[in-house]
Amino acid sequence: MTLQREKRQFSWGMAVDVDKCTGCQACVLACQAENNIPLNTPERFERARVMSWIRVERYWEGEFPDIKARFIPIMCQHCENAPCEPVCPVFATYHNQEGMNVQVYNRCVGTRYCANGCPYMVRFFNYWEPVWPEALRNHLNPDVTVRSRGIMEKCSFCIQRIRRGVRKAERENRELLDGEIQTACSQACPTDALNFGNLADPESKVSKMKNDDRQYTLLPHLATDPNVVYLAKIDPEKAVKGGSSHG
Amino acid sequence: MQQRRTIDQIHTNRVLLNGQLDTPKWWAPTVIGLGFIVIIGFLVIGIMVNKGLGVTGLSRPVFWGLFITTFVFWVGISHAGIMISAILRLSQAEWRRPVTRAAELLTVFSLLTALLFPLMHAGRPWRIVYYILPYDFARGIYPNIRSPLIWDPVAISTYLTGSTLFLYIALLPDLGNLRDRTSGWQNALYTVLALGWRGNPRQWKLQTVGGILLSALMLPIFVSVHSIVSWDFAVTPAVEGWHSTIFAPYFVIGAVHSGVSAVVTMMALMRWLWKWEDFIRPEHFDALARLLIVVATGWLAFTFLELIFAVYGLDAPELALREMQIFQWPWWLLFVTFVLTGYVIPVGMWLQKRVRNNIALMFWSSIFVNIGMWLERFLIIVPGLARKTPFVYTWESYRPSGLEWFILFWSLTWVTFLMLLFARFFPLVPLFEQKESQTFGDSIKIGRARVPAILREAD
Amino acid sequence: MKLNRREFLALGVKATAGSVIFAACGLPERELVVQSPIDMPEDLVRGEDAWYATTWPDMPGGDGLLVRVMEGRAKKIAGNPDHPVNLGKASARHDAAIQLTYHPDRIREPLHRVSKSGEYDSISWGRAERILQDAVEAGTGNMAVVTNPLNGHSGWVASSFAALLGGRHLTFDPVEQGALQNAMRFLYDQEQLPHLDLKSAKTILSVGADWLSTWQSSVGYSVQYGQFRSSHDRGYFIHAEPRMSMTAANADLWLPVMPGYEGHLAMSIASVIVSERLVSSAEISRFFSKIPQPALVGFIPEDVEERIGVSADKIRQAARKFAENRPSIAFAGGSAGGHANGSFNIAAVYALNTLVSAIGAEGGVHYNPTTALQGIEPKSNGASFSDWEVELAHWRAQNVETVIIRGADIVHGLPDSVGARGAMDNVPTVIGFGTVMNDTLANCDLILPEKSFMESWDTSIPEPSPGYQTVTIQQPVIPATVSYTDGLLSDSRSFGDVLLWAAGGALGADDMEEIVERATEELYALDRGSVSASSERLFKHGVLQRGGWWDIDSAPNTSSDADLPNIFDLERAQHFSSTDALGDGHDFHLMPFLSNSLYEGRLSATPFANQNPDPMSSAAWSTWAEINSHEAEELGIKQGDVLFIKSTSGEIEALAYPTPAGRPGVIGIPIGLGHQHGGRYNEGTGANVLSILAPEVDAESGALAWAATKVRVARSGRRREVPKFEGEVTAFPVEPGVPVLVVAPGQSAHDAEVENHHKYQQNFLLPDSNEAPPEDH
Ligand SMILES: Nc1nc2c(c(=O)[nH]1)N[C@H]1C(S)=C(S)[C@@H](COP(=O)(O)OP(=O)(O)OC[C@H]3O[C@@H](n4cnc5c(=O)[nH]c(N)nc54)[C@H](O)[C@@H]3O)O[C@H]1N2
Ligand SMILES: Nc1nc2c(c(=O)[nH]1)N[C@H]1C(S)=C(S)[C@@H](COP(=O)(O)OP(=O)(O)OC[C@H]3O[C@@H](n4cnc5c(=O)[nH]c(N)nc54)[C@H](O)[C@@H]3O)O[C@H]1N2
Ligand code: SF4
Ligand code: SF4
Ligand code: SF4
Ligand code: SF4
Repeated sequence: MTLQREKRQFSWGMAVDVDKCTGCQACVLACQAENNIPLNTPERFERARVMSWIRVERYWEGEFPDIKARFIPIMCQHCENAPCEPVCPVFATYHNQEGMNVQVYNRCVGTRYCANGCPYMVRFFNYWEPVWPEALRNHLNPDVTVRSRGIMEKCSFCIQRIRRGVRKAERENRELLDGEIQTACSQACPTDALNFGNLADPESKVSKMKNDDRQYTLLPHLATDPNVVYLAKIDPEKAVKGGSSHG
Repeated sequence: MQQRRTIDQIHTNRVLLNGQLDTPKWWAPTVIGLGFIVIIGFLVIGIMVNKGLGVTGLSRPVFWGLFITTFVFWVGISHAGIMISAILRLSQAEWRRPVTRAAELLTVFSLLTALLFPLMHAGRPWRIVYYILPYDFARGIYPNIRSPLIWDPVAISTYLTGSTLFLYIALLPDLGNLRDRTSGWQNALYTVLALGWRGNPRQWKLQTVGGILLSALMLPIFVSVHSIVSWDFAVTPAVEGWHSTIFAPYFVIGAVHSGVSAVVTMMALMRWLWKWEDFIRPEHFDALARLLIVVATGWLAFTFLELIFAVYGLDAPELALREMQIFQWPWWLLFVTFVLTGYVIPVGMWLQKRVRNNIALMFWSSIFVNIGMWLERFLIIVPGLARKTPFVYTWESYRPSGLEWFILFWSLTWVTFLMLLFARFFPLVPLFEQKESQTFGDSIKIGRARVPAILREAD
Repeated sequence: MKLNRREFLALGVKATAGSVIFAACGLPERELVVQSPIDMPEDLVRGEDAWYATTWPDMPGGDGLLVRVMEGRAKKIAGNPDHPVNLGKASARHDAAIQLTYHPDRIREPLHRVSKSGEYDSISWGRAERILQDAVEAGTGNMAVVTNPLNGHSGWVASSFAALLGGRHLTFDPVEQGALQNAMRFLYDQEQLPHLDLKSAKTILSVGADWLSTWQSSVGYSVQYGQFRSSHDRGYFIHAEPRMSMTAANADLWLPVMPGYEGHLAMSIASVIVSERLVSSAEISRFFSKIPQPALVGFIPEDVEERIGVSADKIRQAARKFAENRPSIAFAGGSAGGHANGSFNIAAVYALNTLVSAIGAEGGVHYNPTTALQGIEPKSNGASFSDWEVELAHWRAQNVETVIIRGADIVHGLPDSVGARGAMDNVPTVIGFGTVMNDTLANCDLILPEKSFMESWDTSIPEPSPGYQTVTIQQPVIPATVSYTDGLLSDSRSFGDVLLWAAGGALGADDMEEIVERATEELYALDRGSVSASSERLFKHGVLQRGGWWDIDSAPNTSSDADLPNIFDLERAQHFSSTDALGDGHDFHLMPFLSNSLYEGRLSATPFANQNPDPMSSAAWSTWAEINSHEAEELGIKQGDVLFIKSTSGEIEALAYPTPAGRPGVIGIPIGLGHQHGGRYNEGTGANVLSILAPEVDAESGALAWAATKVRVARSGRRREVPKFEGEVTAFPVEPGVPVLVVAPGQSAHDAEVENHHKYQQNFLLPDSNEAPPEDH
């Protein structure tokens, strides 16, 4: 169906160094602001309907005083073999030729099947019509659709930024530089835990990180072949306690 | 075994057409009452469509809830029709005769109801223009045939068409019968519907052949419909408790369990409401109960296989899911209720002959079964989402809103409403079948015992 | 996607038909229009955007920012890659700040209070000017100008204006760093805070300061943290703090020290280093140059572990790492300074640097130069709490005629016990500037709508600077916003402009633009630094484009072998507020902390800041209380229980959030909510923990000892779901290494996964559970 990564001109990917993530949540709000994600009112928190295309999960390991907190940022993994795609009855979510899982809002009929299909819980449904007070509409990003209710949405790898970046490079007819295109989250990330780039280019930072010894992917047993790869957290004490269920 | 009374055709006509020719007192008030609830229901749905799905208790990760559960439930009920009219007809189980039509009717109406739920669930029904209709040839966009959500409507509408035709064909002789007994607008109506039925041998032959053909055609549907519904879940590797391997047969047999039980419920009601003691008799209930014992036990085997397969993989989230589903409040309560009402209580009752021949007890046992079967679907669909994947950080629960509960309740009244409405204009028990069965009227001798012929397999 | 005419028309018909039918149901039109069903709309972006460099002086750190502007609207705030402090990075607070400009409840025109009960008339600027003028005349000789710490020219304008009229300029910072400032003077006699070269360090020992989240230049520090972790052995990070803050959560070794004993912990570490001779004798003797040798005798880990609350093993482990894995750096701040012995706590920690010769060394502590601009001296801390008590006494005694307040929410920020609101009521005219209402503004007689930082001119000196002279320029990146339907979003003026106008040219400039112009001329005259241009005009453009000016060669030389003063001179008796006579309940040590996204409340009006989950609890839109989960269990406290938090100075309510990482006996409560005024998103949400702080002070600096309050906690019997992002289950992984895979140094991800798999299987008695993990496959 889609080309292999190497054969593409662009194959966008994210490399996340978990060891550097401090949990500062800058990426989360950067994404909110960039992508016109509806305001998360208290009601959304209380009814577990928070929309956050990228989220930072915090896990506990061990017991006080030897307890450890582990942070991991999770956005759409842009799986090459995406379980969310085949279940969508209307092709509202599909794979484009640059390795991205994209979402066509105005085709979505709201079955929420894709959200069940996604093992990474990165899809969000507009249960209510988003409310933007007029004043706040001033800062909405004109490059990004303002979604209505009944529609599924998720991380788009800031495709609008990719389009602008590529167009700019073409205009100045030059090669696109590695790291020239930054997603909102990777741009904000103060520790460079988030790195965005072209996996089709073996010299790119993300490609190099992908070959790192610490590289792993989430839920590999599901064979989703994500375009988001992670670099494992390093712990000098390696105190991996709390392994069994504390549920 | 009591000897079977022979009932002359006059009597048969008078009693079985009482719904149409002299309508019982209770009919009008009941139908009006139900109609009232039905209208309120449509208003509520309208409000939901207008305000958005925020009014439900759905969340992330529990994206599917009561609506899908109830959808599966009604599709399950609809298997009554196939089971009774197709399978029993082909296997020529005589006792099926009085209930075939009611069963088919239940099938048609429960399918119509089931189809409403995905529409409500999606929130903006008009968007379905993008859905099954490949309206967009211009841009070469078709629906995604890899998605079970495409095959659901295909299978269900096929089943619906089949059942409707079947129902109609079986109705023809009685329509003719009614036409000859009515006057005025009713006569006009029946004249049109009867398609000039005269009851000559050729028509009888065609009618019978058509019936048998349709039954045969419906067998594959029998397997397909609920298999496909089960694949809505089974193709989802992400959701623990959904990506089970035995869902297709498990769902089908479950559907038969609930469907046939629903038939029992309905027979009891018909017997009481229209006083058809002569036609719907304890033997019928006895026979159905015996059938149900077998079905239920087969279904139970699947239920536990499903659990064992799940646990055997020792998949962490799967274990967490089962732990919640079976041991954690309030889920354990639902689970226990499900096992008790779905199997233990009803089968326990059916095993005793006096229960099998006691209409009231049979009625309640069948109600139990469908409470249990609804819970089964709920316990498959929701906990899996509430404990989806090892991302503990995202585990959430689900509290259905009052509106969702109301719509569930509404769907029950809606189906009853349709049934009663139908019963006013058409006989619920097929007269011709009834009369036909008279021809196999005698009792037969098996060994020393004399058995009522209704249990005999005709040659 | 080719469409011939007929098909296109056909589509049109479908669309309109749909609209007509469903418009009847009162559904939004746009939901019915059939748009392109195959393209992702974001595939087609239109219009040109521009990124302008500026800064937001109200947020500590003085990070350089870029604002994305389209059609005169600010769309996104990001870090300025050229800026030496934050190298293009930003925090959630910066993204949220955009909503201060576009807040739906932004103050639109001057408001004049007609009754003390809080009714206002909207008045014209003309009238506002007259009222201001009268107030200024009346106030000459006895007036006060109150602002947040402003490290730039608006700060200079405020001070000069106050001076001009014989008044005082006080700055206000609710979570005081006074003890820190004091310690810096004492140890290094430096006014500016030193630059911390974290990126080149191998061992970082920080105490009390939540430096990855909110402390000082947190974005710049986070950038450095990233570089620190990138070094080949990724460094070793030790953090001591009573609460598991976001910073503590990232430490390789967390020392959950007892509140108030941070200094003792530092001395205990020193005693280990000395007794185990982990460093050179030269370094030891330098340490003891003023400190009497026996001073450390009382600090042997085994003796003090009880009191300090950290096990002797961990103290020794920390000491060894710190002394041996060099270069090392030690620094303190935040809650460590918020105690009766705050100055000592902080000095004691910094003193450790002398033991590892970290002063002036690579990966150590570096002094910052004096500023490149005349008369601008940066201040990260405000006037001390003691100063404020004195000042408010004046107000109460009606010795003060006029008060001008900007960016300082003293009513919310000062403990109720000092009665800021009452004091304001005794001042004839209080004039407040602001973009969105807050508790202090709501108590002013004249409220003037202020231009936001994206609409006005200013300069800002980062505090601390990155080790060399740095000047950041704030420029208006958008015009005054005209909203789509009802006119000007806010008819506002910049604080500096108004004061300059009121000074009637006496300050030598008509508006801030002119002042910034001068500043650039001043810098041009220096003829050095990051921007070199042939003409003043080009130079100014260069500075505005880069977002400022800096000169990496301006680093002062830090005397590496200066003697260490005797820090024990700063030691003061430990003192906490008492909890007797506070009714029933259990006693806890109150640990207030700055919210990662609201800061001290500066952003609490914005939905963005309110909705951004807290890093540790993931809670939002509320004030919660972190307590140890086991302790909570014993006390029968469940998540969501509404708790009464009582102190000698008052009582608040907070939602219980039991956490396995909580230090028993300590209750952590975020600062930033509990406003009575602050716009639709803020009013009435949460509680203000600052209001119940007991008036304890650090005797040395007079700073508020904001971490020295003890509280009594009782259940109210009410419950409310904590609005948080985390699910209903406490997030312990159900499977080791999923989703966060942890490797030992040098271990590959694959090996770790295999190891975890076997560890997981051992939870079940499977036949192969005893087998050693296979080496490879
Ligand atoms: N790891 C692992 N591997 C396994 C198993 C396991 O448990 N674990 N199970 C094994 C078992 S039991 C089995 S049966 C196999 C199944 O392995 P496969 O036989 O590969 O099963 P599918 O992939 O479902 O079907 C193969 C292809 O048939 C296509 N197809 C569907 N309908 C039709 C049709 O009408 N005509 C034609 N020509 N093609 C059609 C589908 O699109 C699909 O591409 O997997 C085996 N592999
Ligand atoms: N959803 C879904 N359903 C399907 C299919 C599908 O592709 N998807 N495929 C269909 C087909 S083709 C087939 S063959 C069936 C297969 O259906 P199943 O027979 O259920 O096959 P599995 O699910 O692979 O294995 C069942 C359980 O056996 C456990 N197991 C593994 N090894 C052993 C062992 O040595 N001993 C024992 N006792 N248990 C073991 C597994 O962990 C798993 O939990 O499923 C059918 N149904
Ligand atoms: S992460 Fe989820 S949404 Fe994203 S591509 Fe994979 S399956 Fe689809
Ligand atoms: S919700 Fe939208 S995108 Fe997801 S499956 Fe349904 S139609 Fe497709
Ligand atoms: S890549 Fe863009 S869309 Fe995706 S999470 Fe990051 S900021 Fe959000
Ligand atoms: S911005 Fe970077 S460091 Fe902060 S939470 Fe996101 S990924 Fe982690």
